[in-house]
Amino acid sequence: MVGDSGEMVAVRGLYKRYKDLPVLLNLSFEIPKGGIFGYIGPNGAGKTTTIKIMIGLIHDYQGEVIIEGRSTRKWDAQLCSKIGYLPQNTSMQEWRTVDQALSTFGRLSGMSHTDTDLRIKELLDQLGIIDFRHRKVGKLSGGTLQKVGMAQAMLHRPRLLVLDEPVAGLDPESRVLFKNLFRQLAREGTTVFFSSHILSDIEDIADTIGILGQGRMRYIGSMEALRDQVVRGQVIRLDMVQGLNDTTTLERLPGVSRVNKISDDQYQLVLQPQTDLDEVVDKCIRAMQAEGRRIRGIHQVRPSLEDLYMNYTDTGGMV
Amino acid sequence: MSLKLLFMDELNGFYRSKVMIALWVGLPAMALVLYLLVSDTGGIPISQFTALLVSSIGGVLTSAMIVVTILNERERKVYDLFLVRPIKRRDLLLAKFGAVYLCVVVAALLAILLSALLDAFLNGYDVLATIGALGDSVLIALSMMAISCSAGVLIGVLANSMLVGILLVLYGGNQLSSLVILPILLGTGELWMAVLLAIAISSGLLLGSIVIFERKEL
Repeated sequence: MVGDSGEMVAVRGLYKRYKDLPVLLNLSFEIPKGGIFGYIGPNGAGKTTTIKIMIGLIHDYQGEVIIEGRSTRKWDAQLCSKIGYLPQNTSMQEWRTVDQALSTFGRLSGMSHTDTDLRIKELLDQLGIIDFRHRKVGKLSGGTLQKVGMAQAMLHRPRLLVLDEPVAGLDPESRVLFKNLFRQLAREGTTVFFSSHILSDIEDIADTIGILGQGRMRYIGSMEALRDQVVRGQVIRLDMVQGLNDTTTLERLPGVSRVNKISDDQYQLVLQPQTDLDEVVDKCIRAMQAEGRRIRGIHQVRPSLEDLYMNYTDTGGMV
Repeated sequence: MSLKLLFMDELNGFYRSKVMIALWVGLPAMALVLYLLVSDTGGIPISQFTALLVSSIGGVLTSAMIVVTILNERERKVYDLFLVRPIKRRDLLLAKFGAVYLCVVVAALLAILLSALLDAFLNGYDVLATIGALGDSVLIALSMMAISCSAGVLIGVLANSMLVGILLVLYGGNQLSSLVILPILLGTGELWMAVLLAIAISSGLLLGSIVIFERKEL
């Protein structure tokens, strides 16, 4: 059965549009059991939509999401008990105290009174907000509310934690706290899936990352493999005395995969893997001379992680 | 299980909310103040005056309150954390309807009881006889409030802005609730028919709300 082997989540051919705006286009990926999966993409890329489909909040879509062998189309108590969810902005009824809110969520998740009570104390302690237990939710700061949100997500000890931009808006201290918590949960066997639009939020913590761009998964793999691309990536920056009317000559050079215009007289040549850099430089100089163009300088450029991310998300960048 | 839990939870929230406290104290106080301000009530007892007031503004207050609550909670994505748990969407609405309606009914009955006591104290009326005489009016008022409340649920689920929601509920909800008294006003119906009509309309509105809420992307 799909999704019943080593993976916690299997997303197959997700397609979702809002009126005329397509958001997800045949999105497919798998999340292995255990470990931390960082789901990254620019704002509006469809991360929250993916998450809402995964946790059963959106029903109208094409494709399939399977969590531990069970389709999320049939949203039932057993499936709910496997998943903990933290939204981008935690929101609870403001008249409740933290304790009342968490008690309700615990009881609705099928936990006993005693277990809920003990678990609330344990989690609030762990998150450093035990003093806020009897404080009204409406009186909490954004960061504290996010911690309460995290507590409700972990309350029923789910096997999969789905977190939508969990560290956005947190102070540095709380970011570290959350990241340490994710590591601890992963060590204990929980699968942590979390989204972000900031690469630095996930690069030091995720075992696997998925880059979403233009409604599709553009990259999925380890952070190490992505870093390896940085080392292997070859880019040439070409400074011309005068700007080129068109870049066709450069694009036709053997070994060049793409040409990006940086400014009026600066261009980037992205090389195909395994291309001989010196040979391309040589051919580039000759081609420009043949057209009577004058070159001011040629430089080799190493792409950063951000450049790779930008490239995968199709929002610009060099590689 | 989840419906009972949600109902108790909503009740817990509503009965202690500032709006409800204002209603519980405000409704009887408003009736008394208005009674004292109106120079000529034509000999109407305070309790009857209160019953009239409750039937006219009780429904408006109920529907406005429920529409604001649902829209506000929808807007702030409060329901997301409930819906990822093993509960049915319809239970969220039914629990809210039940809790608000019960709270407003209690507020209305308290107002009428208090005014009957005042009647007994100030005018020497018999409390039980006064309440008994008001039975029909109270039933009509509660029926109208049920319709307003369920209309509030429907509009809360349907509307996408607070302003539209409030306007719809003030005009639509209020007009709809007055359907209850039509058969009696026209002299073609009796009290039980009005109550039955209220139950039918309220159930229809709630059913519609549930169907829409089940399919709605929150």
